[in-house]
This record gives sequence, C-alpha cells and structure tokens, in this order.
Amino acid sequence: MIATAPEMLIGASSDFLKRFSPFNRMEPEALEFLTERAVLAFHGKGSEILTPDMGQPSHFHIVQRGKVQARQSGPASVTDYNTMTLGPGECFPIGAISAQRPSTNAYVAVEDSFVFQLPADDFLKLIQMSPVFHLFCTQYIASLLNQSRQQLQSTFSQRAAEQQSMTTQLGQLVKKVPVFVTPDSTIRAALEKMSEMRIGCMVVADAEHKPVGILTQSDLLPRVVLPEIDLKRPISDVMTQTPHVMSAAASAYDAALEMATHGVRHLLVIDSEGKLSGVVSERDLFTLQRISLRQIRASIEGASDVESLQRASRDIRQLALNLIAQGIGAEQLTQFISALNDALTRRIIDLALARHELYGIDYAWLAFGSEGRHEQTLSSDQDNGVIYVCPENTDGATLKQRLIAFAKEVNENLAECGFPLCKGNIMASNPELCLTLDEWKSRFGDWIREPDPQALLNASIFFDYRVLCGNERLGDQLRNWLNRTAKANTAFLRMMAVNALQVVPPLGRIRDFVLEDDGTIDLKKYGARLFVDVARILALRAGVASSSTVQRLRQAGAKMGMQADELSALIDGFHFIQLLRLRSQHLETEHDAPGDNRINPDDLNELDRRILKEAFRQARKLQLRLKLDYQL
Amino acid sequence: MNWLTRLLSNRVDTASLDAPLRDALIRWQALLQPDLGKAHFETRYVVINTEATGLNLESDRLLAVGAVAIDGALLSPHDSYYARLDPDPATALTNLLTFSGAGPVVVFNAAFNRSMLEGALTEHLGITPEWAWLDLHWLLPALYDERIDRAARLGDWMKAFSIETFQRHHALGDAWAIAQLMLAAQSRALAEGLNTPRSLAELERTRRQLRRHG
Repeated sequence: MIATAPEMLIGASSDFLKRFSPFNRMEPEALEFLTERAVLAFHGKGSEILTPDMGQPSHFHIVQRGKVQARQSGPASVTDYNTMTLGPGECFPIGAISAQRPSTNAYVAVEDSFVFQLPADDFLKLIQMSPVFHLFCTQYIASLLNQSRQQLQSTFSQRAAEQQSMTTQLGQLVKKVPVFVTPDSTIRAALEKMSEMRIGCMVVADAEHKPVGILTQSDLLPRVVLPEIDLKRPISDVMTQTPHVMSAAASAYDAALEMATHGVRHLLVIDSEGKLSGVVSERDLFTLQRISLRQIRASIEGASDVESLQRASRDIRQLALNLIAQGIGAEQLTQFISALNDALTRRIIDLALARHELYGIDYAWLAFGSEGRHEQTLSSDQDNGVIYVCPENTDGATLKQRLIAFAKEVNENLAECGFPLCKGNIMASNPELCLTLDEWKSRFGDWIREPDPQALLNASIFFDYRVLCGNERLGDQLRNWLNRTAKANTAFLRMMAVNALQVVPPLGRIRDFVLEDDGTIDLKKYGARLFVDVARILALRAGVASSSTVQRLRQAGAKMGMQADELSALIDGFHFIQLLRLRSQHLETEHDAPGDNRINPDDLNELDRRILKEAFRQARKLQLRLKLDYQL
Repeated sequence: MNWLTRLLSNRVDTASLDAPLRDALIRWQALLQPDLGKAHFETRYVVINTEATGLNLESDRLLAVGAVAIDGALLSPHDSYYARLDPDPATALTNLLTFSGAGPVVVFNAAFNRSMLEGALTEHLGITPEWAWLDLHWLLPALYDERIDRAARLGDWMKAFSIETFQRHHALGDAWAIAQLMLAAQSRALAEGLNTPRSLAELERTRRQLRRHG
C-alpha cells in the first residue's frame, strides 16, 4: 500500500520536527496531532508575523527555516528580553498563547523565513494532550537544561565506562556464576576449590542456594592453619556465620558503605528470593571507582605531609570527572570542588601552623575571586590573603613578618598541590595582602572613594572574599563595614555598573553568536563574568553578605522584587555556562592541555547551543536591569 | 494565447471510461475559470510536478504525478495529491484534474512538466486542460534576482532558500519543494505590487520575451 500524499507530507513535517526539542520527545499521537494540523507559511525578510496590536494570537508558530526576531515593543520593560532571535525548531509565542493574551513582543522575520503555524485552539488541545509539550511550555528553560544534563551524562558515560559510576547496581557487577559449597563439605574440598578457582573466599550455601556462611583467605590462618584443624571436618565448623548480604538491587555505593561500616572485604549478593547470585569484593569496588568523596576527605584530613595532599588533589580532579559522568549539576559540582579544595587548603594551613607559632593571634585566611565565590573551576590559580588584628602593645612589624612567613609556606604548598601561584601576586605572602582589619578597611575605602579602572578591577577580585579558616568574625566585620560604605557611595556603584556593562553577551543580531577571530567564545569573560559582575553590584546595594554569585542574585534579587521564576531563569543560565566551562576543562585535561574557557559553539550540539543562547539572553536581561537602574 | 476568456471547448472521448470517471470529468469540465484578477490569498494555486522514466519528451513516459495546493498563501499537508500512473492511468489523471480544479497551475520548468502531463492527458483522457500555467523556472529569477539572476535548476533554487524535501526526484517530494518556492515567490510578488495570478503571468511573459529578444 503506497502512502497517500497527505501521509507523506505529514511524515516529512514530523521527521523535520523530530530534530528539535521538545518535539523529539513528544508522544507519537501528540506529534501526529500537531503535524496534521500545522500548515506552512512564508514570511519575507522584514515582515511582521505577530505584533501586540494583533491582539490575542490566533496561531502558534514554529520556525522551519530562517530567522525570526522577537522585539520588545512599547515602553521598555525588564520583564522580557530586549530582542532575541529564533531559529529552526524554535517556537513562539508560548506565554501569550497559553495565557490567551496579546503578545508583548513583536515577531519579525529578519530573514526570508518558512514558519509552521498551528491554530491557537489546537495549541491548547496539544498542551492538554501532551505532558511533554505542557512541561516544555511551562518550564521552558528548566526542561531544556535538564535534557542537556542527560545528554552530558551519556557523553561521559562512554569515557567513564571503565570507571562505572557508584550508582551501578550490584546485580550488574557480579557476572561470574557464583561458586559455593554446602555446609557439610569438608574444609579440604572447599580449600581445593578456592585454589582451583583462584578465589579469595568461599561461600557456603544451603540446598536452596541461600548463603549461610563464608570463609575468606584471611580466616585461614587463625581458624584453620594455626589451630591445626582436621581438614576432614565440615566447613561449617570454621566459617563465619550469617555473612553480610546485600540485595542485587543495591548500588555499589551502598556496598562500599556496608563494607566500610562493618570492616569486611566481601559481600554476598542475593536475588529477590534470597539466593546467592555472586560475590562483590572490595577490590571490585575499588576498580569501579578508585576515589570517593568520603575517601578523599578522609585522606585529606589524615594527611601528614604535602605528598599525600598532592595525591588527594589529583583525586579531586578525578572525582570531578566521575561526578560529571554521573550527571551532577554545575551547582553541586562546584560545591564539591569548593568543599574539597577548602578542606585541602585548611589541611595545608594546619600543617604549616605546626611549624609557625601563631597561637593567640587573631587572624583569618581569606579566599578571593572565584575561590571566594565558591565558583572554582579546575584551572583556577590561588587568590588569597590574611586579615588579622594587631593587639595593643604589640610590635606590629614582627607580627606581620611571622604571618607572612607562615603564608609563604602555605602558598608554596598550595602550589605543590596543583593551585598555581597567582601571577598577579594576589597571595597572602604578599605584604600588601596581609593586613589588619583597619588596613583592609582603608584599602577598600580608597577604591570606593576613587574608583579608577585599577580600583574597580581590584574591587571585582577582593570584594568577593570569604573566610576560609581562622576567625570568621573578622570577615563579618569587614563585610558589614564594606556593604554600608559601598551602599552609601552611589557614585562608586555607578562606576562599577559602567564597568560591568562594558562587556556584553556575545549574541548576534543575525547570527547566533558573535565569535572571536579564532571562532570561539570565551565563556569566562563573555559568559560567567557578566553574571558575576552584576551580582556583586546588586549584593553591595542590597547589603547581601554572601560572596557567591547565585546567593547574591537570589538574596539581592528577592529584596529588589525580582520574580522568583525570573531569578531561577537567571541562575539556571549562569549554572549552564559554568557547566560548559567545567566540561571543556575536563575534556582538555584528558589530553593534558591547559584548561581554558574557550568553546566553539559549532562543537556543541543543537540543544546546548540553544540553551547557551538562552543563557546569554538571561545575562543580557540582567545587564538591562542594571542599565535601567543607573540610567546608563 | 487567449485563455483568460476562452471557455472550455474540449470534448472528452468518454466512451471507453467507467461511469464514475466519466462523471468526475464532466464535473471537472463544468468548473468555472478562476478569476485571475483576485489577490494571491484568495487564490488556490496548484503546484503540479511529474516524475517520468527520463527527460526525453519523445521517448520517455510519465510515471507519477504529485500536486500540492497553496490556498490562502498556506501549505496544508492535507491539500495534496500523489498517484502513480500504473496500473490505472485514467483514474490517476482524472483524480489529478479533480484535485487541481480550474487552476491556476504552477510548475517548475513547463517545457518539460507541462508537455509531459499534457501528453499523458491527451493519451489517456483525450483532454488538454485550459489552465493558466505559471512557471517558476522563469518567475523565480525575476523575483529573487539577488539570489540567482538567471534561469536555474530546481536544486539550485532549493539550495538558495535552503529548502529541503523528504525525497528528491519524487513527484510529490519535488512538488513539496516547488510549493515552498511558490510561497516565497508569492510573498515577494506581493511586496513588489504584483498582487494577482494575472500579474504573475504577465511577469513571466515579459521574462520569456526578454529572453527571446535578448
């Protein structure tokens, strides 16, 4: 039977739409409903497809080819993008048509464009019919982000094949047919079998294959050899009774925890009926994932020298790779990296303290820049300083010398552990950065009073400080003073805003992205920094104590009356850029190339490109808010 | 050629056809000529495309026909037609006539497609439709000379507009691409004040003459 013409054309539209999200995930009957009813229209370059004046939109549009620009019309508002360009597979107007209100944007074809259109009534039916489409429309960015994470997971799962994740089920780990003997077997028979099969332990199971005991190699010496047990006796006399068992559905992580808790090296894996399905050894898990969070933490805290900390530092990088493979998000990932790096730094400081007598001195170790914001990637160099109090009747110069000597050792050991020395000498061993509370205040005060370019640059690094170790209250006192002073000085904040707006998101009016000469985008300069710089200003204005960009946006944004969904869209955008940065660094360290922040958008898949575009739009939106606030 | 006012004068040799086909053809012949002075959006254009054993009008024969309507400047997948001539060419072609109505008809490269189709219609139905034919082969370079300023092949025009289709050199597959080109042509024509099928026909005639004299 030959397909009819409508069937062929509907099939063609559906094949086309399946190249794009969310249509590729849409339920087959929903996609059919859509493609049966969608008709194709052409909009010549420059023609208006939908404007606010047209009232309630009569159609939902999906770009087939060409480019459509959404332009904010009417009085400028920060609730939407200024302009954004939509390409193939992208649709509009989602909000207006769902809410059955006129569009706030004007949609204009900026190239000759072919656009599918679906009657508004059918759009509403489609939302009812398709949970996937419904989700897509209501959580536009969120759903895309989630999907991208899943894709990321699958790319990494290949590379992580040999180091399968700790979420693997035990049932999948045990591949060999289980070897066991019955309780009445002689010890000799059991030992011969162990030797023959080259296994480290023998499971004892009853007639129904349910495990009743275990004998491991390490049991042999105390229980068999030394007591000179008669090998003709049954194995049940010497085995460990009630062995540790775990369900085949449990994860490798559960198994590791069980082994660690009970100090055993073997676990018996049983199926749902309690029958033996195999044995998992510590070594199996060890090869599965050499490093765990807990292990690294323990090894850092127990480290007695720099060499063992160097190993831990390498493990942190490896763990980060594994975590990405497990699909962990940028936020949690940076938190992990940050927490482990903090632990590492604290241990290095502890080790240094053993050689530098600082007892009774009121001081704190400060982290600046990305480390201060908890946003360290894997290639960050160290940015740190010291804040201290010089008690009365004390020789200030001597005290400072002692602190600097101590800081020097910490800086050098950090460098040994993979945190490169800061090229700009932003390090605690620099006398300029080992200051008392009052000196820091006066330093910060100078920059605020005279915001020349250098002062603004300094502010962007040092104002993101946090206390990593030592007396936290010193940091708090400085923060309170800083927020009060900056808030009172609007000229300074305005200069910060001017500075922050000098770099704009690399979104093209016609092309998707504005690239540098080598065809790449610097995601630090033209991505993360856009969010970081605005967040800092908002935090200073709103008196937010946190140094992290996300917290600053959340807390300051809430104070300034930004909508929750607007804020989470912003934060999602920031996280996505951070994730791309981390990902490119990981991929590069595999080749031992220096990590950098450049990505080529052509190397991204369609979905990631679109999310990146969206993330940049969020940055633009944030900048627009700043622009309006300071009338720049 | 005065097809604007001429009434249908062909008589079908209906004797050899089944009754339902005969009725369909009579109904088709009774259709009124469309008003070629109406606007594009009030006109139903029918894009027709053929698939033949080869490109030689003398020796090759028609294998299949595909058609896509452009109604109100929109392409709907439902308003389309496709049939292979085997095993029943009379039915395949009668249904094509019914689908196409009184036109106007749009083709890419009339010299081949129109001739191939008219040959088959004469052979199997004894009919030569008095459609208004528009040929994008001439119209596209007249309307989109910034993209290609000479008569070019279908593949070139598809490339120029990055138009894709589900199957090249398939009667309906190419018709789908041609229909998209027609949408583009219509829109540009409108922008240039060529608001009706008649004005498009005029443009094509001028082009052909220019070519002949130039």
